[in-house]
Amino acid sequence: MSGMGFSWPLLRQLTGKDRLGRAAAVKSPRTGEHPARTAAADRVVKSVCPYCAVGCAQNVYVSDEKVVHIEGDPDSPISRGRLCPKGASSLQLTTGSGRLNKVLHRPPGAADWREIDLETAMDMVADRIIATRRATWEWENKGRRVARTMGIASLGGATLDNEENYLIKKLLTALGVVQIENQARVCHSSTVVGLGTSFGRGGATTFLQDLQHSDCVLIQGSNFAEAHPVGFQWVMEAKARGAVVIHVDPRFTRTSALADLHVPIRAGSDVAFLGAIVNHVLENELFFRDYVLHYTNASTILREDYRDAEDLDGLFSGFDAENRCYEDDTWQYEGMHTVAASGERDEDYDRPAGSMPAGRPEVQGGTGVPLSGEPRRDETMRHPRCVLQVLRRHFARYTPEMVQRVCGVPPELFAQVCRHLTENSGPERTAEFVYAVGWTQHSDGAQFIRTASILQLLLGNIGRPGGGIQALRGHASIQGSSDIPTLFNLLPGYIPMPHAHEHEKMRDFLRADASCRGFWANMPAYLVSLLKAWWGPAATRENDFRFDYLPRLTGSHSTYDTVLAQLDGTCKGYLLLGENPAVGSANSRMQRLGMARLDWLVVRDLNLIESATWWKDGPEIETGELVTSEIGTEVFFFPAAAHTEKSGSFTNTNRWLQWHHRAVEPDGDARSDLWFMYHLGRIIRRKLAGSADPMDRPLLDLTWDYPVEGETAEPVAEAVLAEINGWDAEGRPLDAYTQLKDDGSTVCGCWIYCGVYAGGVNRAALRQPAAEQDWVAAGWAWAWPANRRVLYNRASAAPDGRPWSERKKLVWWDEEAGRWTGLDVPDFEEGKPPSYRPEPGAQGPAALSGIDPFIMQADGKGWLFAPSGVVDGPLPSHFEPQDSPVANPLYGRQRNPARKLYRHEDNRYQPSGEEPGASVYPYVVTTYRLTEHFTAGGMSRHTPYLAELQPEMFCEVSPELAAERGLVHGEWATVITARGAIEARVLVTDRIAPLHLNGKVIHQIGLPFHFGPNGLARGDAANELVSITLDPNSHIQEVKALSADIRPGRRPRGPALPELVLAYRRRAGVTEDTGTEV
Amino acid sequence: MPSKERVLRLLSQGLDYAEIARLLGVPAGRAYLIATGVPADGSDAVARRRGRPGLLTGRTQQLVNPREVGPVERGDVHAWMRERAWSDRRMRQAGA
Repeated sequence: MSGMGFSWPLLRQLTGKDRLGRAAAVKSPRTGEHPARTAAADRVVKSVCPYCAVGCAQNVYVSDEKVVHIEGDPDSPISRGRLCPKGASSLQLTTGSGRLNKVLHRPPGAADWREIDLETAMDMVADRIIATRRATWEWENKGRRVARTMGIASLGGATLDNEENYLIKKLLTALGVVQIENQARVCHSSTVVGLGTSFGRGGATTFLQDLQHSDCVLIQGSNFAEAHPVGFQWVMEAKARGAVVIHVDPRFTRTSALADLHVPIRAGSDVAFLGAIVNHVLENELFFRDYVLHYTNASTILREDYRDAEDLDGLFSGFDAENRCYEDDTWQYEGMHTVAASGERDEDYDRPAGSMPAGRPEVQGGTGVPLSGEPRRDETMRHPRCVLQVLRRHFARYTPEMVQRVCGVPPELFAQVCRHLTENSGPERTAEFVYAVGWTQHSDGAQFIRTASILQLLLGNIGRPGGGIQALRGHASIQGSSDIPTLFNLLPGYIPMPHAHEHEKMRDFLRADASCRGFWANMPAYLVSLLKAWWGPAATRENDFRFDYLPRLTGSHSTYDTVLAQLDGTCKGYLLLGENPAVGSANSRMQRLGMARLDWLVVRDLNLIESATWWKDGPEIETGELVTSEIGTEVFFFPAAAHTEKSGSFTNTNRWLQWHHRAVEPDGDARSDLWFMYHLGRIIRRKLAGSADPMDRPLLDLTWDYPVEGETAEPVAEAVLAEINGWDAEGRPLDAYTQLKDDGSTVCGCWIYCGVYAGGVNRAALRQPAAEQDWVAAGWAWAWPANRRVLYNRASAAPDGRPWSERKKLVWWDEEAGRWTGLDVPDFEEGKPPSYRPEPGAQGPAALSGIDPFIMQADGKGWLFAPSGVVDGPLPSHFEPQDSPVANPLYGRQRNPARKLYRHEDNRYQPSGEEPGASVYPYVVTTYRLTEHFTAGGMSRHTPYLAELQPEMFCEVSPELAAERGLVHGEWATVITARGAIEARVLVTDRIAPLHLNGKVIHQIGLPFHFGPNGLARGDAANELVSITLDPNSHIQEVKALSADIRPGRRPRGPALPELVLAYRRRAGVTEDTGTEV
Repeated sequence: MPSKERVLRLLSQGLDYAEIARLLGVPAGRAYLIATGVPADGSDAVARRRGRPGLLTGRTQQLVNPREVGPVERGDVHAWMRERAWSDRRMRQAGA
């Protein structure tokens, strides 16, 4: 008799072979009847986690056409089978009983939803779009052709597939919509500016697995272990190999616990901290001299009339105080200048000459800054106007003592950081920086990243194994939604959107924006191929390939400008596609007030998020500021498909496109955004068929013939990917962007993704297991550009083409074969030898020499000094956050003089530093992500597993602050700013210690930003407290550092809540001018 | 339950795990686990256990997940691309 035959486990154990009770003895007959879900599944579908941008691979198990189990795919070289709590809960995300599968409609003024059928709803939305477009169409704006509507806007895309983003951008652009935005604006847009202007491309320079080769990992502006847990395993691999791990952060987190060194810092003071390391490196001659001399612009000489922040107390030359912006003429290299934007040829264009159009820094971050001429260099790097000497002077005031005064970091702790970093950089060793939105979301966020870029260039750590800068993005395809941009200022592949009248003809546009040196010189081929992808046979050489079909910009049309446009009644229709601004965007109250002024709102999501229900149960309904019956906004809710219910690609934080296959059909009316956009376009085109109105031509000429499949007529996502990749005149898929032509013979929807469908194979779906390849893992997925994993990797070799050291070799020049070779795909022209020097006047890639690793830069160099591309200064300077209890000790100017402000009665700013009334808001607030939740909570607060793990909003305070303000652990506290007041449970903890700055004690308050009133895990939204204050480069909001008061107890209810906020404003003397000085 | 020695003996005779599974009446993944002590689905196997008899150097997931879905090519998409190109006369002229 087998052991299973006995009913008592002990008897089975004693009488059977399993005497230790570790196998068959403990298995009952009943258990034996139930095979594992994984064993009984009908199929196992390859997928990718839909949460953060690490891109963990998943196996989705399907039985009887239902998803029954999801687990990590151990073959993945990135995740190695691991999933974090969110990824592990993604089964509930897709099968949760709380998911809706019916379309809901709220007529204007109605008190509740009503169910309507999908077909009717699609028809109604198509009608609303057509009507609003007709009513708000603009052919001209101030005498310039714009051919657009400002009556419609969309927000969302970072959680969607690349193919979905592509159709959103394509359809809405053809409709004349320019207000197209997504989470990338509010998360990492400053990354594109910071990294792009420094190195030439706006993406992370390396990939997660390469962290294992680092000798020192400095994590700052990120709680890596908790926000990107699975990626953090590569930090631990590095540590196991002997690397030093440093965590610089206001809070002691699980990242700090696993680090060798935790450095508590005041939120928002990172430029001072990093700037002081730059100063330490320069003053002690610790930089990597050969790397700096050959691969950076250190030796380039600046113009004589350049004036630094040292000379002008925080300002650089060219500042226009009236318009709060810089003209960058004086920042140029001597002998070389930025190619004039074509707007300058348009004499009456309404912006100051020499300054950049709105949104342009992000474009140049993605594309590099076009320059012409020949720069002067001093190879001794001693010339007083050479970049290295300018750098020395600029950072001289950033001393360890200043770090103590600004950041609250003691000199001895600061010295340890300097020592570890510099000892682990050089030919034999490399250090890597890792950051996330702790750096990006500031009113000078791009400069945070610029400072780190300068430091890594000085230390010679870019383009080398274990080096680089890792930008940790937080959404599955937020990199993809920048590459294929649902962003107002970009076309796919970082081609700029044309501005009104700047670019009447494509020829003028290209003359202005295509660099004459480097790989951007090929922009005509990229743009023409895009126009052919969108308008097919209708785009011919004679009609400028229908360049006139692109609507024109007239300034900033970022998501925050859209909110203002909603409030003033200009924007009347709004599409929310997987984004929840009522919780997730700065000043969430203004977001809701804006939506309350709309004619119609479409929300597509998995659950009823706050942005869908604010009209019936939002905070303003409770305070009486809004009355449901008086809100005229018509609201549609469309249930969305989960990642297991659709096919498509996500681009992870390291530019890897990974395909997830559809495992099952979605239930009921739930549909993918690919389905929604395709069929919306189809219906609108059908309704407008035969129209002779010229405004409809871009729509009717659009190529919109994607094949569909299945009962729901789902568009074939792979066909969309094929269009993104491109094909030639015979319909053969292109292998590389170097095949693109400007004569109309090639189609390509996004030139940087060209190659993902090479040979007709979906390379994003390739899954060669990690165990079968080296650490670069080129056979798993596909990375842009050209499947390169480490960008600028020419810099891993010395000028002569040999690796700097055997230990740190990556790519090198093979003299015998006459080409570059190595472990990674060389990020360099394969046959260009190190000895190559361009002829005078050379153009395009031929203008770059054999020692120019930064091939997207017009001069081929890493930019220590940015002669253009960063609108608030060519070098980073420390400024205080918009609202700060600390006076700026570094310069006479408190705040970033070029910051972007929005004066509005619902967006008041606070006094800071020594200004009267600043003591009313005495504490620093910072916001952060939790392991168990995701952004605005739409994908986590409705999930039972995750809600149980993190059930409600809380605030972290130190024991000292708790004592000072009478806060009790586990009880309630109210946090108040000039915008709002929220309540949270009090978590008293040593993790967020007070800092000592210049004899003054500064307390900090930590707030997770995920919570809102809907779902299973609820709470007030931290974004109620935040003002709309933007980085002028990227238009990202400052949410990582502000000031507030905190007091014990719950917040008031009803009208007493806005009264409390107003009472604080009165006490602080807040007026419309407060905090708005230049 | 077959013994480790038996599975390893069959391996040494040139049989693969699929054949051994059929012969012994156990799933292939379980045969692999018996032989190597390493789960074929890769769970708990981040650290490489080199040198063990019976260990496969490549992927082993298919031993437990034979019904895997992850196609990388679609003929209908290839045909659609050709159709799009062929329907654009000017494009073909430009490419000629």
